Amino acid sequence: MLKYLKKYCDILGPSGMEDEIRNAIIEDIKDSGCEYETDPMGNLTVFKKGKKRRDKKVLFSAHMDEVGFMVKYIDDDGYVHFNSIGGVDRRVVSGRRIVFCESNTYGVVASKAVHMQTAEERGKCEPINEMHIDIGARSRAEANEHIMIGDCATFVPNYTEFGEGLIRSKALDDRFGCAVLVNMINSDLEYDTYFTFNTCEEVGCNGAKEVAHRLRPDIVFVLEATTAGDTLGMPKSKRACAIGEGAVLSIVDRSTIYDKELLETAVETANEKGIKWQYKNVVAGGNEAGEYQRTASGASVLAISAPARYIHSESNVLSINDMQSVADLASALNERSF
Amino acid sequence: MEKLYDIVENFTSYPGVAGFEYMAFDDLTKYVKSLDIFDEIGTTPVGSFYGIMRCGKKNAPLILCDAHIDTIGFVVTEVCEGGFLKIANVGGIAAKILPASEVNIYGKETIKGVFASKPPHLHDANEYDQRMNVVDQYIDTGLPLEKLKTLVRVGTPVGFPCKLQKLLGDNLAGAGFDDRLCGAAIVRALMYLDKKSLNVDVAFQFSGTEETGYKGAMTTAYRLNPDKAIVIDVTHAFVPGAPKAREGVKAGLGGDICLSPHTHRAFTKFAIDVAEKEGIPYQLSSAPGATGTNSNAVQTTRNGVPTLLVSIPLKNMHTMSELVDMKDALDTARFVAAVIKAL
Repeated sequence: MLKYLKKYCDILGPSGMEDEIRNAIIEDIKDSGCEYETDPMGNLTVFKKGKKRRDKKVLFSAHMDEVGFMVKYIDDDGYVHFNSIGGVDRRVVSGRRIVFCESNTYGVVASKAVHMQTAEERGKCEPINEMHIDIGARSRAEANEHIMIGDCATFVPNYTEFGEGLIRSKALDDRFGCAVLVNMINSDLEYDTYFTFNTCEEVGCNGAKEVAHRLRPDIVFVLEATTAGDTLGMPKSKRACAIGEGAVLSIVDRSTIYDKELLETAVETANEKGIKWQYKNVVAGGNEAGEYQRTASGASVLAISAPARYIHSESNVLSINDMQSVADLASALNERSF
Repeated sequence: MEKLYDIVENFTSYPGVAGFEYMAFDDLTKYVKSLDIFDEIGTTPVGSFYGIMRCGKKNAPLILCDAHIDTIGFVVTEVCEGGFLKIANVGGIAAKILPASEVNIYGKETIKGVFASKPPHLHDANEYDQRMNVVDQYIDTGLPLEKLKTLVRVGTPVGFPCKLQKLLGDNLAGAGFDDRLCGAAIVRALMYLDKKSLNVDVAFQFSGTEETGYKGAMTTAYRLNPDKAIVIDVTHAFVPGAPKAREGVKAGLGGDICLSPHTHRAFTKFAIDVAEKEGIPYQLSSAPGATGTNSNAVQTTRNGVPTLLVSIPLKNMHTMSELVDMKDALDTARFVAAVIKAL
């Protein structure tokens, strides 16, 4: 899994710009004997034959897109005004390096310097639409030689090992899920299985809506990164989950009440195989499972997540062991007939 | 320009949060020696590095070029459960740029850290109306407490790593340009000079602790005892939203020569004439009060030192992504060289 992870994290692919990450994934699965297809929304769906068939259609889902930024306006002096694609905390943007997709133009996000703020403004962070990106252009014309309105950017690739057994990078949400799925596709499967790599999760799960409609799965496992709040002095009740504590199983979040039977099966499987797991203990966040649950005739859904500190920033921090636990649990569940 | 870029790349790669300048000395000394400019090199107990270039003439006056070697940063105030570090800032830093940013922790070994950012499910209803304080931010090292304790203690310095990134034109992003960039510009200026043809000796002082009170400049200037001084620092280049009065200094238009009670007017006018004569781009600004640089400390040394202040326009000062137009840095180097030659 790790062999794919760095490659995928370093690819620029904000919502709506998933071509490059999709091509990288296709490159890695095309010799696995699977059937794959890119649909009109840009989702990559994959069918891999196993040794046996099972009555129910089982789908494993991850999303390819990451949070990013989009140009709204370039002013006379060449400064780029912009807003975020997906939910990004304004406080992880100011001062950071970004890079535009396709043109590979680099920029720095700037906001009012501290000595230029009024007493009222001081200490506060302005909204993203009051910041600007400096690409070094001195005029709109110079900027337009490289970028234009609607162009997209992400945090600069920065994949690195961190602390003890951790990875720090942009876009681990959800390139780690992509890496786990690619690994599964490249292994021998017990049962016929469907996989999907979706677009536009960060802006409302647009890709998943369409995939749910077309594939009509009976059971869906969503592989995701989920917010870990296990930071300094945080009581256990507010952590949601903690890195290093294993795969995260959610009971309920803001988009889904997860299938009770699947949840029990997952707990049982994890315990049987000795895979480390934890419950998510706050009702927060959401993911594509909600779309699978509500589309067409619905599906039984479960999210298997890796705990992630500082999600939606340039510094997602995930544990290698946790990611492995998610991969192990997904594979173990896929050996079941359901 | 390439020579200047090389020097900047070297100078910005050394640690050296104010008070911890000595961490840069070994690498800096080695590198500066390799350039073979100075006849004498030394360091001081107050965190300054200096080099002297002699013209070989008897009783030649000494011209001092000052930039500061220290950078803004943090010190560890507590090593905490879970591998987190509480910190205090060294120099002025806005808290709003910190969450999820990368830092280097200069303990027994240099380790990577990331400032924590608050997860969305813990946000308050009025989350963004609240003022942020640097001392409320803390660093995640990802290391178990026991291991962390063997590497880091209270007082360990922390800084932004400098990752240079070229932008359009000659624009360059990096950390610690304030004021390593100006040290680089001075060294580049001295490389333009043929010392034997000069009428003056030239000293370069890379002063410690500017960000926390100019002590390195005061004491090193005292030691070197110059006849005239040129202080080089960075200044805020105009950015959108800044007051009208700030529009006078823009990136890309050359070094900014400062008129101030804290600089010497006749020397400044002399320098402006040199720039005019040599056709070197420059800008003018004024500081009726404090200049926020070493100029006051240097000009009040011993019996007083006629001091000129020239600044390189910089955007995003005191962040991990300071932004300079390298043309300005090179023009400033050319200006400093021309002034020294004209003396």
